[in-house]
Amino acid sequence: MPKAANYRANSVIYFQGDVVSDKIYILQSGQVVVNYTDIETGKDLREVIQTGEFFGVKSALGKYPREENAAVVSDSQVLIFTVPEFEQFVSANTRIILKMLRVFSNQLRRIHKQVENLMEKQEALSPEIGLFRTGEYYLKNRMYSQAKYVFSRYLTYYPAGKLADAASKNLETAETCMVKYGDGKGPSPSVAGIPAGAQPQPSAASAPAKPSDTLRPPSGQALSDTAKEYYNAVSLFSQEKYKEALGEFKRIVEANQDPEYVVKAAYDMGRSVFMLGQYDAAIAHFTRMVQTYPKHPDLADILYYLGQSYSKKGDAERAKGFFRKILTMEKDEDNSTYLRAKKALRGLEEAQNG
Amino acid sequence: MADLASFTRFARTYQAGEIIFSEYEPGDSFYLIQSGKVRIAKIVGDIEKTIDVLQPPEIFGEMAILEGTPRSATAVAVDTVRVLEFNRANFEVLMMGNPQIALRLLKLFTKRIYDQKRRFMILTLEDPQARVADVFLMLAETQAAATAGAEQDGEKREFKVTIEDVAHWAGMGASEVQTILGHFANQRRVELYPDRVMVRNISDFSRFVNSRRKK
Repeated sequence: MPKAANYRANSVIYFQGDVVSDKIYILQSGQVVVNYTDIETGKDLREVIQTGEFFGVKSALGKYPREENAAVVSDSQVLIFTVPEFEQFVSANTRIILKMLRVFSNQLRRIHKQVENLMEKQEALSPEIGLFRTGEYYLKNRMYSQAKYVFSRYLTYYPAGKLADAASKNLETAETCMVKYGDGKGPSPSVAGIPAGAQPQPSAASAPAKPSDTLRPPSGQALSDTAKEYYNAVSLFSQEKYKEALGEFKRIVEANQDPEYVVKAAYDMGRSVFMLGQYDAAIAHFTRMVQTYPKHPDLADILYYLGQSYSKKGDAERAKGFFRKILTMEKDEDNSTYLRAKKALRGLEEAQNG
Repeated sequence: MADLASFTRFARTYQAGEIIFSEYEPGDSFYLIQSGKVRIAKIVGDIEKTIDVLQPPEIFGEMAILEGTPRSATAVAVDTVRVLEFNRANFEVLMMGNPQIALRLLKLFTKRIYDQKRRFMILTLEDPQARVADVFLMLAETQAAATAGAEQDGEKREFKVTIEDVAHWAGMGASEVQTILGHFANQRRVELYPDRVMVRNISDFSRFVNSRRKK
């Protein structure tokens, strides 16, 4: 049974962020407002709860923290439901659920639109091309019945679409293959693709491409083989398999394929050597790096490892020199290397003074 | 569950492998599974990724309530599947007769609203590193809700996600996310594995994201 409760003016029924949010309320008399921050504008909004209106429904049903404060303006009486009590109550009053469904679906529509607006800048595959691509995928993978479905849907929605010809060809291919070989069987069918001009082309670079660029895969989502090898090695490193990681980083540096990853791998080679406790080798490696890449993006980190290597060897003076250098270089005081250098320096100084 | 016998005219049957709807297809109906299993999948790059496998009495395709938005995933019958098909025309009739379904849908909406709001919060972060970190915070929140009361292993959190998943949530390219995760791994904040990502200290991520969020 739902319980009746009285709240005094200026009290709060629940706060935004309350994790325990398992109650649902109906206002019976008095005045309650809910305050919340609009996520789009950051403005504080205020909504007056009408007598007979439910509040606290979404967070209770969805099991997430309260998103608003429910504040009592004048002495009020409310009915408090647990979630099962609420479910039982509304099940006998389906109209209430329908009304809530309408309110929630409007809210969902609104927030969905806001998210879409943000995403638009980032992802731009039109539904038409997306649908076609989905069909292409199924056909390539000899999933003929799925390909048939998707291409026939394409032709239903976009009968005069720019890909309609290709879609009918692919539909025919899917049907033929299905009869000839059966679903999932037969040789890889040839797929009619998206003609040039049907989708936005990346703008041509105005400057002539450097010869090294031609070896690279087209820019975009796909990672080069070197990049994949590099991240495999990073993964080994993060699993504390330093010896294996070192071997992999070394191979990338020696293969000298993709300059971006060669530079990264060279740095990580040094870190692996350091983690293996070979401080002399680490010092030699990082010193060479500072000479070769005086503008390396991870220069501060390189200096940090040099400092740490000297510190581990017991050469506190040289170590402090490197840490001080980092503090003069880094402008951002929240930068993790800055903070680490500061901490290491303090540690050394305290050890000497105390 | 309520007696649905009187709604047979809204029932549809699909055979194993049959597509119920395809990603990118416009759609105005959603479905309640009565029997069989439905696989929800998305094609990411060159791989078809299974997002979920649903069973009775789950609902899918409910985002059709948002007019004009194309389907965000493909629904395929795993075995012989029987569903009830809802649309604008029959919605009220079906809901009035089935408060349990209506309630289920209501709960689904509350969850979707929260998901979308959370997503909005991620996308409005300007710092790409903070965005990636916030994706893990969001995943941690969802996991916490799903395993409420279960013992957590200190500050460590493990996520069964791929780079593409994270990129999708963060609204960023996979290679950019790859670089950022590599950077986090360098800082020893995460450990990367082929099928999962381990965040070493979830509170560290939380402090980091909060410091980047505009007040």
